[in-house]
Amino acid sequence: MLSKVISFALSGLDGLPVEVETDINNGLPSYELVGLPDAAVKESRERVRSALKNSGRKFPAQKITVNLAPADIKKEGSYFDLAIAVGILKATEQLVGADCAGIVFLGELALDGALRPVAGILPLLISAKARGYKSFILPAGNANEAAYIGGVEIFAARTLTEVVDHLSGLARMAPLQTAQYGGAGAQKYKADLAFVKGQAVARRALEVAVSGGHNILLVGPPGTGKTMLARCIPTIMPDMTFEEALEVTKIHSVAGILNEEGIVSLRPFRTPHHTATTVSLCGGGNRTVKPGEISLAHNGVLFLDEMPEYHRSALEALRQPLEDGCITVTRSGGAVTFPANFILCASMNPCPCGNYGSADKVCTCTPAAIHKYRSRISGPLLDRIDIQVEVDSVKYDDLVSKQEEESSACVKARVERAREVQRRRFEGTDIRTNADMSERELRDFCALSPECEKILRLSFERLKLSARARSRIVKVARTVADLEGAERICPAHILEAVSYRSYDNFG
Amino acid sequence: MPYTKEEKAEIWLDSFRFDYAKKAQIYKTAPDAYSLVEHFEKYRPKIAAAAGEDSCRKMEESLRSADYMHALLQTYTQKRIRCVCFSSELYPEELRQLPDPPLVLYCRGNAELLRERKFAIVGSRRTQPQILRLSVECSRALRAHFVIVTGLADGGDSAAAAGALESGKLISVLAYGFDHVYPECNRGLLEKIEEKGLAVTEYLPCEAPRGYLFPARNRIIAGLAEGVLVVSGGEKSGTRITADHAYSYGKDVFAFPYAPGVESGAGCNAIIKEYAKLTDNLVDIASAFGINLTATEEIELTQAELAVYNIIKEGETHVARILELTGLKAHELPAILTLLEMKNLIVSCGGNRYAAIK
Repeated sequence: MLSKVISFALSGLDGLPVEVETDINNGLPSYELVGLPDAAVKESRERVRSALKNSGRKFPAQKITVNLAPADIKKEGSYFDLAIAVGILKATEQLVGADCAGIVFLGELALDGALRPVAGILPLLISAKARGYKSFILPAGNANEAAYIGGVEIFAARTLTEVVDHLSGLARMAPLQTAQYGGAGAQKYKADLAFVKGQAVARRALEVAVSGGHNILLVGPPGTGKTMLARCIPTIMPDMTFEEALEVTKIHSVAGILNEEGIVSLRPFRTPHHTATTVSLCGGGNRTVKPGEISLAHNGVLFLDEMPEYHRSALEALRQPLEDGCITVTRSGGAVTFPANFILCASMNPCPCGNYGSADKVCTCTPAAIHKYRSRISGPLLDRIDIQVEVDSVKYDDLVSKQEEESSACVKARVERAREVQRRRFEGTDIRTNADMSERELRDFCALSPECEKILRLSFERLKLSARARSRIVKVARTVADLEGAERICPAHILEAVSYRSYDNFG
Repeated sequence: MPYTKEEKAEIWLDSFRFDYAKKAQIYKTAPDAYSLVEHFEKYRPKIAAAAGEDSCRKMEESLRSADYMHALLQTYTQKRIRCVCFSSELYPEELRQLPDPPLVLYCRGNAELLRERKFAIVGSRRTQPQILRLSVECSRALRAHFVIVTGLADGGDSAAAAGALESGKLISVLAYGFDHVYPECNRGLLEKIEEKGLAVTEYLPCEAPRGYLFPARNRIIAGLAEGVLVVSGGEKSGTRITADHAYSYGKDVFAFPYAPGVESGAGCNAIIKEYAKLTDNLVDIASAFGINLTATEEIELTQAELAVYNIIKEGETHVARILELTGLKAHELPAILTLLEMKNLIVSCGGNRYAAIK
């Protein structure tokens, strides 16, 4: 007898409906799985067999054919276990009277019949909902994540028996309560600006960077707290909206790194090691494409510690996503576009020995060595980093001082005000922050008075800035003005913006 | 530009890549280079004694071949090299006075600059940022009266070059041939110098940079200039050699003073003790040459700017200290510092510290 059950397969951040067709025929006992399954899908046979047996059902000693339609798309992962098990039960008439039409089955089976959570549930649910599917049965371990999808009926089961009882009407499960997104809520970031002592200039630079969505480079000797400052960036970013949180959760779900809460409510902070390859940063994979670090940092911060140590090719690959806010990864399995809208925070030493500009230690590097070290970051990449700021060694007195520095919450309030100004300014466009502005917006929103123009020109002449820095400076000046609540850009804003290009005029 | 017979003879002699002593010895065998070429047979035994039989045969062959000289000059033209020879009218008189003048100066760029008054500014590779900025300023101010002579190293030399480059009044003396660039990171700078100013070397184009060539190069810097300003230099640095040469040629040597314990300035202090003039502003240099430097423009500062400037004038100051002393907010200070920097009053020393340069 033939049965048909719906499941879903993941393709990038999208789900595709997969019809699991099961046919049982008389003949020598065999199990044939077709429809381009990968190893994990093929192995479902053993899991399904044991799970059925250990749930008190029968695995038929007949010729079983399972087809995953459409048959021309490669299927990966263990999502289909539950659907295959239900399909076999239906086909062998162990589920009489149960109506499985319109229900999407997702989940991996354990040998004892329990349901194991799978990665990528959220994007699957979202695309299934968009395709009109209204009823889902999935593992209880994915319940937290799935609960954020409203308007559909979701049943979270712990075991195969629960699913069978539910379907046959013996013991109906209660549908999942839709969870309300409560922002970051009780979750807290570990870092806080209140713990960063001194560093007045760097703190201010962080505030400006986050306000305008600018990328930032922290230059300083080892042990000066560059990493600590970077960790504070998410803490002063505005809370994620539900849509933003959902975007992030989708990506993290696909990557299989979702935590217990089910939704990512804290801004991600990703710190790939400097041995990271281009693929691990940008995303890729053999057949199915997985998101890379830059996508995992979407709506959050990508922190590249000791930037010159990264592979040149990996760094250069960041250029396009930095510009576009997304990355399209093309593999033989197809092209997938992942969002990658993040604040890039990079840190580096001022020179190979690390002591250039240090007050108490002597730098032993020749200018040529420093030049070489700094040139490991290419001009085009440096151009995309609007703010460069020096972080210097903290004095012992500062470290032990009881004086409370301003906390992240205070800074965040100012950042939110500046973001609000930008939100109103860019209403109706797809631009979110000043950093995203193109030449057109620069012309419309960043008109410079003759006085500002004069100062800008002078600063270029005197400080030997590269001409490419101009639009960057104007954008940062716009952000500084927004922080102040000023309608127009004043000379002081330009000057402050210029002060964040100190790295450019070295040597 | 056609070369005279005498010039051609000198270029010919220089093309054999003898070291300086040999070259001088051969040169002195005849009253001038042209007669050396004309009556080679007559001088042959002496040349063979000085240069060795092999080289002597090579020289002989080159004289017999009609193409040798033609090819040589063509290569130089292709490489945009102009040869200014000892006998050339353009050859600087100051260099003729040296005990060991270069036979040929290979020039790229505007060779006419050799006629003008020249002043050398030299500094070591490790020079403090504020001194670098100060060197740029000095170079910029002096270029109105002098052509600035310097090397091509990073640090002090590059800073001096940066100050004079725009005006084109710059001579950069290299310690290697034009086929090479050292340091590599100054390739762009050298190209600009060749375009706007003048690059000079006494070495054949194929000569690669080697440590022992640099001290010899320094004598040309010292010899060309009327005076030398040493902006930085350790106890045993190349700038010290330049300064010693200049002193022995009877030129005025100026040096910036340094605080005790600053390694990059120990050489400056040492030559001040011996012969150099302590220099902390351009007037010191200008008055030595009877030059009137244009009065510095009056710079207007707001109250806050003045307050910050006055603090920095006390010595190298950290941003945190300025904030503490002035009570300014963290977002107000960067603008003020940038403005002061633009007005050339202060420089950033790295590590968020600033120093005054005026």
